[in-house]
Amino acid sequence: MNSTRDPLAAPVSSAGVRIGIDVGGTFTDFVLSDPRDGRLVFYKEPSTPDDPSRAFIVGLKALLDQAGLEPQDISVLMHGTTIGLNAIIQRKGARIGLVVTQGYRDVLEIARSRMPSSFDLHASKEVPLVPRSRVIEIAARFSSKGQMTLEPSEAEIEQVAAQLSALDVEAAALVVINGYTAPQAEEDIAARLSLAAGVPVSSAAAIWPEIREYERTLVACLNAYVQPLIKRYLENLREGLATEGITAPIVVTASNGGSLNVASAMERPVETILSGPASGVMAAVRLAQAAGLTDIITFDMGGTSSDIAVAKAGSPALATQTYVGGLPLVLPVVDVSAIGAGGGSVIWVDPHGIIKVGPRSAGAKPGPVSYGLGGTEPTVTDCYVALGYINPAGFLGGRMSLDAEAARAALAETGRRLGFDGSPSEIASRTAEGALALATTGMASSIYKVLAQRGLDPRDFVLMPFGGAGPTHASLLAEEIGLSHIVIPMAAGTFCAQGAAAADLRRDFVRSLRLPLEGIASLRLAETFQSLTRDGMDWLDAEGAGQARNFEHSADMRYAGQAYELRVSLPGADLDATRLADAFHEEHERIYGFRDAAAAIELGTVRLAAIGITPPLPERPIAVPTSSTAVKGARSIFHKGAWIEASVLDRAALRADLRFSGPAVVEQEDTTVVVLPGWSGRVDALGNLHLEKVR
Amino acid sequence: MTLDPVTLEILNNKVAAVTEEMCVTLQRTGRTLYVKETADFACALAGLDGRFFAYPRSIGVSGFVGLECAPTIEVVGDLEPGDVILTNDPYYSHGLATHLPDLQVIAPYFHEDRIVAYGWCFVHCSDIGGRVPSSISPTNHEIYQEGLRIPPVKLMRRGELNGDVALFLNANSRTADANMGDIRAMLAALDTGSRRIRQIIAQHGTETLLDAQAELTTYAEKKARAVLGRIPAGTYRFVDYLDDDAVSALPVRLSLALTIGDGTIHLDFTGSDPQVAAAMNIPSRGRPHAWLTLRILAMIHTLDPTAPLNAGLLRPVSITAPAGTIVNPDEPAATGVRHAAAIRVNDVLNGALGLALPAVMPAASSGTVIPVVVAEPNDRGGRNVQVVEPMIGGTGARQGVDGIDGRDSGISNLANNPVETVEAELAIEILRYGLRPDSGGAGRWRGGCGMELSFRILKDGTNVLGRGMERLLFRPWGRNGGRPGLPGSLVVNEGKPGERWLGKIDVLDVGAGDIVTFRTPGAGGWGDPRERDPASVLSDVLNGFVTIEGARQSYGVVIVSDAVDEAATLVLRAKCTSEERVVDFGPERAAWDEVFDAGAMDTLNAHLLTLPLARRQRYRRDIFAKTLGQLPEGFPRAAADEQAKADARDDFVRTVASLKG
Repeated sequence: MNSTRDPLAAPVSSAGVRIGIDVGGTFTDFVLSDPRDGRLVFYKEPSTPDDPSRAFIVGLKALLDQAGLEPQDISVLMHGTTIGLNAIIQRKGARIGLVVTQGYRDVLEIARSRMPSSFDLHASKEVPLVPRSRVIEIAARFSSKGQMTLEPSEAEIEQVAAQLSALDVEAAALVVINGYTAPQAEEDIAARLSLAAGVPVSSAAAIWPEIREYERTLVACLNAYVQPLIKRYLENLREGLATEGITAPIVVTASNGGSLNVASAMERPVETILSGPASGVMAAVRLAQAAGLTDIITFDMGGTSSDIAVAKAGSPALATQTYVGGLPLVLPVVDVSAIGAGGGSVIWVDPHGIIKVGPRSAGAKPGPVSYGLGGTEPTVTDCYVALGYINPAGFLGGRMSLDAEAARAALAETGRRLGFDGSPSEIASRTAEGALALATTGMASSIYKVLAQRGLDPRDFVLMPFGGAGPTHASLLAEEIGLSHIVIPMAAGTFCAQGAAAADLRRDFVRSLRLPLEGIASLRLAETFQSLTRDGMDWLDAEGAGQARNFEHSADMRYAGQAYELRVSLPGADLDATRLADAFHEEHERIYGFRDAAAAIELGTVRLAAIGITPPLPERPIAVPTSSTAVKGARSIFHKGAWIEASVLDRAALRADLRFSGPAVVEQEDTTVVVLPGWSGRVDALGNLHLEKVR
Repeated sequence: MTLDPVTLEILNNKVAAVTEEMCVTLQRTGRTLYVKETADFACALAGLDGRFFAYPRSIGVSGFVGLECAPTIEVVGDLEPGDVILTNDPYYSHGLATHLPDLQVIAPYFHEDRIVAYGWCFVHCSDIGGRVPSSISPTNHEIYQEGLRIPPVKLMRRGELNGDVALFLNANSRTADANMGDIRAMLAALDTGSRRIRQIIAQHGTETLLDAQAELTTYAEKKARAVLGRIPAGTYRFVDYLDDDAVSALPVRLSLALTIGDGTIHLDFTGSDPQVAAAMNIPSRGRPHAWLTLRILAMIHTLDPTAPLNAGLLRPVSITAPAGTIVNPDEPAATGVRHAAAIRVNDVLNGALGLALPAVMPAASSGTVIPVVVAEPNDRGGRNVQVVEPMIGGTGARQGVDGIDGRDSGISNLANNPVETVEAELAIEILRYGLRPDSGGAGRWRGGCGMELSFRILKDGTNVLGRGMERLLFRPWGRNGGRPGLPGSLVVNEGKPGERWLGKIDVLDVGAGDIVTFRTPGAGGWGDPRERDPASVLSDVLNGFVTIEGARQSYGVVIVSDAVDEAATLVLRAKCTSEERVVDFGPERAAWDEVFDAGAMDTLNAHLLTLPLARRQRYRRDIFAKTLGQLPEGFPRAAADEQAKADARDDFVRTVASLKG
């Protein structure tokens, strides 16, 4: 809870050069922003998965060379990493132990007692992060009111510590039942255990004092599980950078769309594990805002799957119920939902002659048939190639050529198994268009569902595609859903790095109160917010945040006796009971369509987000194109059963005032934009490509 | 087929997604615990035949895909746009509803003056009146005690609420406001379905939608037949028992002859007990009802997860469920806790399928769901009533795989309650909520462990309810040499003065300081325990799922200082005698079967069905009392000597034989 000023966290100057670095599976992306001349420089370096810091350092040096800058010009490095996430998914984290209140050794085994499927007799439950043999019980407990009802004696601490030492663990987590009511007391027990056992012991309540023992246990275990790995990585990175003369502070992006400094990231790495997708969404939200758009659906279509996120009024929706490697996570994270197929999703035919797309993916190897790397099953990407959406000679800016004939042959074979008649060429086109329609239907259905959970209508939103295939597939998806506006930013391929470069500092704080909203509740709420704000201020100071700060308040409330709580955003920390009640009634009416003015209200978990605002990246007015003509030529694309002539445009040559109509294909370095008939295109002053449905 | 394979799959995808979006809408706007947390609701789309052509896969109650809307729609007669039908009565709706708290609504979806589909939803409402709060009690013996019966009526007429119906509803429930909230949520879900159906028609046309309804069910049927075609043809018999019927101590028999052949499956429940004078009857109306076919669906889905979820899956399934039995009761049998019997129906389906597919089907799961409830006096002179935990056990082992500890999604897949939220609501202290070592049936693959919940009462005048306790007597059976799991139990103040071992309870009175401990059964094992890899036994011991003593006794594995003593293990395993049984029901069931001969039981149950409903139960009790009177009190839990059992059996067989003619 307590943050002390970290000597490593030098204040981040808003005047210097900021560099965003996103380490992905294939490429490490760099975005450099120099506020002195408003420049943005992009760079890509192939990733080095065995030691990600290698590509980081090599690429950073190349980027500096390209920009003509020196190491000392850098004011901050903003870094997104998936090391923690990968360790959890592959269950390759540290060997950790868990200490729990006696009687609760099975907290991870039982979890919430649900199976992943009630229809699959062969389904198995998730593999617990800590096997039962490394779970130790301790005589420590609080009551629900926060009294310590079982206080561990010195002998008890010694005995548990001895057991812990015997397990040969790198780290441990401590969870005391009702610890959320007394986080400081639990942290003290953790400190005593840590001292006696000689291993770091993280207190679950200190990290995340929210009611619900299983979920809180997981937060602490996940933290301990990835901590040694991330710590080693960041230390190596800092050393490696230092030998290159780069001593700028490193800030690590977080799953909530914000960021934290290296010291915090080493202490609470669990906050960083979903930062990759969060950064991409944050970049999209910022670019949309610069273009005057506040309500967007981001659409990230990659090789294996597609993801969406929703932003309203310029802020992305956060979730406090998400899954990481099959385990629930209750920390607030940018809400990213998988909606179906990616470019590598395999198209196949079941024994009854019905077509299917995915969920299997051909991955990068063997990859789609058209890659010529040994893939024999057609994929979604092969459909783009077969239908003329993608220029086989111009893939990845011409660095890779695709075998369109092989793709068409494979699709023709699939079509024959579907019973289609005609020439191989006709069958291939028909199959490809059918497969894309099916993939699109799956995505659209998922979007309806995701938005229905929030009571939103997708047609009120602008679609913002990114990722390798997002812009290619976007107009098919928009047509299916009934969206009329798509915005495709420049350089959508380095989105996550851009998101990192612009990330605010942000940390979420919680405290579960559980009080009736009468009498002292509003006083307790104000006190709690004060205390959380102090923690937030201390943290921001320690992070070296500037004076531009923001605090967001919310509380979970419910009608007494109701089984579920509703999260209510609050206008401030100091609200009397009447205003609290009003805020709750209003939100309840918005979500459920009614209010119960006579019912008593209960206050549950109180939440505060402490935000240190990072200045936005400079807006980059579109450069005057070097080439005089945007139209490179024309080619046929297959649409609604026929080949039609589409003009081919060069994205780099599109001027701000240019307008054009579909059918068209816009080619850019990292992706291809398909503009269907009935859609028009234009480029705004910032270089964003807008596609609009012609009414 | 008239639709091409692309269009059909697109429609397959869309209509299933519509039902899921309906569910999401219902859950978001619903008001009660059942909707929000336990997700005891569902939405689907029915074709003109009233059967579901689309059903959600990932949200809501999964088992109701086989329900039929047609009888309910027929009762109401002509429908107009904006009409919504409401019913909850198992008899009037011919099994669409299966107990009164499940409010069912159906809306016709019109396009150009003709019905093109029906939307359907149900929610389990908090209370629909009747003798007890929440309307459900195992000891109800007539449906009239279970609350307001709503025959199919128009809740909405041309988009307007039918005020008379609303008056009846509100006057007959302890939770009228909450019910109306959930009804509104269902109406919102029906609207969502209507909107999406209109969209599908705009994109694909009415004829395509109608063709898809027929062809998607045919497609599912083909997939089901393909799966059934892989099962060896033959007739497989399986009998299992409920410990008792909650109003008497007599076990309740469920008998199944399952016949597979030519891609079809026939379920014959002849020989099952007559309907009981308690609330666990399953109102199937003699059809292949959802509650009688759940395991079949799960089996098909397990072997082909790509099969679309719709009524076509059940087309190859036929059934014989004699009228007047527990699986097809006559009006006015009570049905409130029909899921208690359905758990055991699941077991006989699982058992019979396992005889046909030994490599696929597991041994018995723990077979019980106990919502442990505490009711304590509050400051306002009333009572706080709250579920502590829904207690379940584990799943059975199967060939090659151990069972799962402390989870069982067989009949429902409910989430538990965080201990901390329970302690914040109730004056109890939960001392232990964990797995129960040594409870899983031994086997080459071990059955899943049962669970233990132990809590201290902090307030005088508290009641504890444990409805649904089962398998305290007859154990979850093991397969192919695997042993049964340990039975469940309930004890107050264990190891303390005043220790009380209790059987089933309805309502238990306790005071401050009392400690109540529920233990659920372990699930059955699979294969000879002596063949279990000693390394797996060691791992179980180190993890605490099996004790050192359990390893020695059940597996013949000797563990010393965290390692297997291989020499001692060899010696011990050589000494163990083998008792290879295809199904090992445990000693209590074995003793019961020795006396109550299977053939005689079949004959008795056939005879009972010829008697007037009013006389059956008394007649049956008398026959059993006569035989049991010759055996030790507490039989079959209490052992009887061989001679006593042989005599009792002769007497029983003679009695039954004398009934003929």
